[in-house]
Amino acid sequence: MSGATTTEDLEPPIVKKKNGGGGGDVPPHGGDGGGDDDAHRPKRSVSAKRYYTGMAIGIVAVLMFFMALASAFLVRKGSPDWVPVRIPVLLWLNTIVLVSSSVTLEMARKKLANSDARGFRNLWLVTTILGMLFLVGQVTAWRILVGQGIYLASNPASSFFYIFTGAHALHLLGGVGALVYVAKRNFRQAQVTQSDAAEVASYYWHFMDGLWLFLLALLYLGK
Amino acid sequence: MVTYDDNANTPPSVGLTLSSRIFSAEHKTIGLRYLWLSLASVLVGMVLSTLLRVQASTAIPFLTRLEATPEHYAAIRLLHGSLMVFFVLTAAPQLGFGNFLLPLQIGAQEMAFPKLNVVSLWLTVVSLAGMTASFFQPQSHGIDVWLASAALFSLAALLSALNFCVTVIELRTEGMTLPRMPVTVWAWFINAILSLLIFSVLLAGSTAVLSDRLLGSDFFSSSAFLASQPLNLVREGSLPALWQRLFWYFAQAEVYIAMLPCFGIITHMLSTFSRKPVWKERLVVLAICAVGLIGFCVWGYHMFATGMNPYAPLVFSVLASSLGIPAAFLLASWLATLWNGKVQYTTSLLFSVGFVSLFIAGGLSGIFLARHDLVYAAVSEDFVTGHFHLVMGVAATFAVLAALFFWFPKLFGCRLNETLGKVHFWMTFTGVYLIFMPMHWLGLLTQSTLLSDPQRIAVASTGASIRSVVAAATIWTVAAQILFVWNFFGSLLRAKASEQNNPWHATTLEWSVACPAPRVNFAGVLPQAYRGAYEFTGAMPDDFVPQDRAPDMAVQRQS
Repeated sequence: MSGATTTEDLEPPIVKKKNGGGGGDVPPHGGDGGGDDDAHRPKRSVSAKRYYTGMAIGIVAVLMFFMALASAFLVRKGSPDWVPVRIPVLLWLNTIVLVSSSVTLEMARKKLANSDARGFRNLWLVTTILGMLFLVGQVTAWRILVGQGIYLASNPASSFFYIFTGAHALHLLGGVGALVYVAKRNFRQAQVTQSDAAEVASYYWHFMDGLWLFLLALLYLGK
Repeated sequence: MVTYDDNANTPPSVGLTLSSRIFSAEHKTIGLRYLWLSLASVLVGMVLSTLLRVQASTAIPFLTRLEATPEHYAAIRLLHGSLMVFFVLTAAPQLGFGNFLLPLQIGAQEMAFPKLNVVSLWLTVVSLAGMTASFFQPQSHGIDVWLASAALFSLAALLSALNFCVTVIELRTEGMTLPRMPVTVWAWFINAILSLLIFSVLLAGSTAVLSDRLLGSDFFSSSAFLASQPLNLVREGSLPALWQRLFWYFAQAEVYIAMLPCFGIITHMLSTFSRKPVWKERLVVLAICAVGLIGFCVWGYHMFATGMNPYAPLVFSVLASSLGIPAAFLLASWLATLWNGKVQYTTSLLFSVGFVSLFIAGGLSGIFLARHDLVYAAVSEDFVTGHFHLVMGVAATFAVLAALFFWFPKLFGCRLNETLGKVHFWMTFTGVYLIFMPMHWLGLLTQSTLLSDPQRIAVASTGASIRSVVAAATIWTVAAQILFVWNFFGSLLRAKASEQNNPWHATTLEWSVACPAPRVNFAGVLPQAYRGAYEFTGAMPDDFVPQDRAPDMAVQRQS
C-alpha cells in the first residue's frame, strides 16, 4: 500500500476520534509491515491510523512521566532545605523561540496541504532550526546556572530544575529527530503519506511546546 | 490476498540472516521468547525460595553463612522477588501469551508496531541480565544496577503497553467489535492501559532515585526530607530495609499488573471447559475494568499520599476494600459458569479451579490486611508474605500453567501429557497450601505484637515446628515442578506435527489456524468475526460455534 490517499479525507476522522491528539516518541516507521487490511476499510489506511493512535497514547505516557515529577516537586517543595532557583532570563527567550517554532510548523503543514513542496521544506527547516536553537538555549541556561554555582546536587529545588528542563530537552530532541525524519524520508514506498507523518510529528511538537509552558509556569510560580 | 511483510512468504529457515532471526519482529516469536525468559526465571526463582525457606528453618552450615550476613539474605530475597515479579508474573501472562495470542485472537497479522516490540523484548532481556548481575555486585553498587534495570524494565513495559493498546484499538478484524472480543483480549487491553499509566510514573521515580544515588541530587535523599516523614518509614534506616522498601514500591503496582491478564485467562478457560458461555460476560468485562481503575487509584494513592496525611490510611483502606466488589463479582461469574456445565476435567481446568480456590483463600486474608488498623495489631511479615504469595504469586502461576496446558498445541504443535499434568497439579496444589497457610499462622501466632512476652516464648516452639513444615512443603512443591519440566521438554521432544487445529473445541480465532501457528497469520487472508467469543450451545457433538463461522453456515450445521 503506497501512500496514495489524500490528506483531505484523512483529517476529520482523527480529530473526532482522538481527543487530545499529540505526538509520541515513535516516528512513523514505514517498513514495519503491519496488517494492511485496507480492503475491508476503504476509508483510510490502517497503517497510517495506527500512528495517530500510537502518538495519542504515547502522549499520555509522557504526560504521566512529567506529572509524576511535578507531583513530587509539589510535595518536596515544603521541606526546609528548599532554596528556590532564580530562573535565568534566557529561558523566556527560549520560550519565545519554541512557541514560534510551533507557529512555523503549522504554516509548513498548510503549505504541504496546498501541495507547495518547496514552501513546506523551507518552513519545516525553519521549525527544525528553531527547535535546535531552543535546545542550545537550554544548554546555555544550564551553563549560566553552573556559573552561579547552582548544580544538580546543590539543593532539591535545583535538582528539580535540572531534571525538568533536562527531561524536557531529551524529549524535544526526539521531536527534532522526528522533524528531520519527516523531511528526509522517502515516502514513495512508505505506508504513510508525508502529510500523515507531518501531522503526527506536529502533535508531538505542539505537545512538547505546551508541556514546556506548563513546566516553566510550575518552576516560576512554584518556587 | 494481502501480504504484510517483505519476507512473509519465505519459510523462516530460508534466506534469513542471523541478526534478522535474533531481532525477529514476528509477534509469535517474541511471545515465545518472553515465555522462555519466564521459564528460566521461574526455575531460578524457585531454587532461591527453597534456599530461603530451608535457611529459615534449619541450620545447615552453608546456609548459616547467609544468616551471618543479613544483607546477603536480603539480597537473595530481592532477587527471588524481582525475578518472580518482573520476569514471571508480569512477563508470562501479559507479554508472553499476550504477544503470541492477541493478534491471532483479534484477527490481525501483527502487532501494531513490530519493531517497537523487538526493542521492548531486548530491553527486558537486558533488564533481566542487570537484575541478576546486581546480585553479584557489592551492595551499594548492586542497588544502582538493580534500579537501572528496573528503570529499563519500566521503559520496556511502557513500549509494550503502547503496542498492545494500539493493536487492540486499530487492528481488530472486520466484525470483531468490542463486545465480541474474547475476555482475554479485554484483560490484556485494560492491563496495557494500566501499565501505561503506572510504568511511566515508575520510570520517573526510579530515574529520580537513581539520580539521587549517582549524581547526588536531592529528590528523596536529604535528611531534612526524611525527618519530615513519619517515623515508621525512617527508623529502619539500614540498607536491607531500603532494599525492601524499593521492592514494595514496585510490588504494590505489580499486583494489579500481574493479576489482570490472569483474570482474563481464567474466565476464558472456565467457559471453554465447562462448555458454557461466560456468565454475565459484559459485567465480567466491566469488573475487569473496575479492578484496573481501582487498582490504579489504590496504587496512585500509595505513591503520592502515604505518610503525608492522617486520613490517608483510611482512604487506602476504603479503596483497597472496594477492590473486593469487582473481585467478588468475578468470583461469582466463575462459579456460575462452572455451575451445571458439562465440565471437562483437563489439566487446564484443574489449574483454573485451583486459581479460583487460591483467589478465595488469599482474598480472605486480604480482607484482614486491608484494615488500616491491623498494622498496629497482628500483622507481621509472615502473614503478609503468605497472603500475597497465595493471591498473587501462586494464583498467577496457576493461571499461567492453565494457559500453557491450553495453548501448548498452538505454541508448539503438540499437547502436554495430561496424566503427568494432573499429578503435577495435585502435588503443587497441596504443596502451596501447606507452605502458605502455615505461614499465615506463623504471622498471627509467633510475631504478634498483641501477645505478652511469656506467651510469645510459649508459642515460639510451635513456630519452629511450623517453619519446618513449611520448609518440607517447599521441597515437596519444588519436586513437583521437576514433573512439569519433564512433561514440558518430553512433550517437545516427542512432538508430532499431526495435532488437529482445534483440539479443545474452542471458539476463538486462534484455533482456526494450524498447530503450531504458522508464521503468517491466517495464511495472509484476514478472517471475519461473526459472533461473540463464547458461543457454546451445549448440544453434542458439535457444541460450539467458532467466531469466524458465518451465520448461514451455522444454520446449515444445525439442520
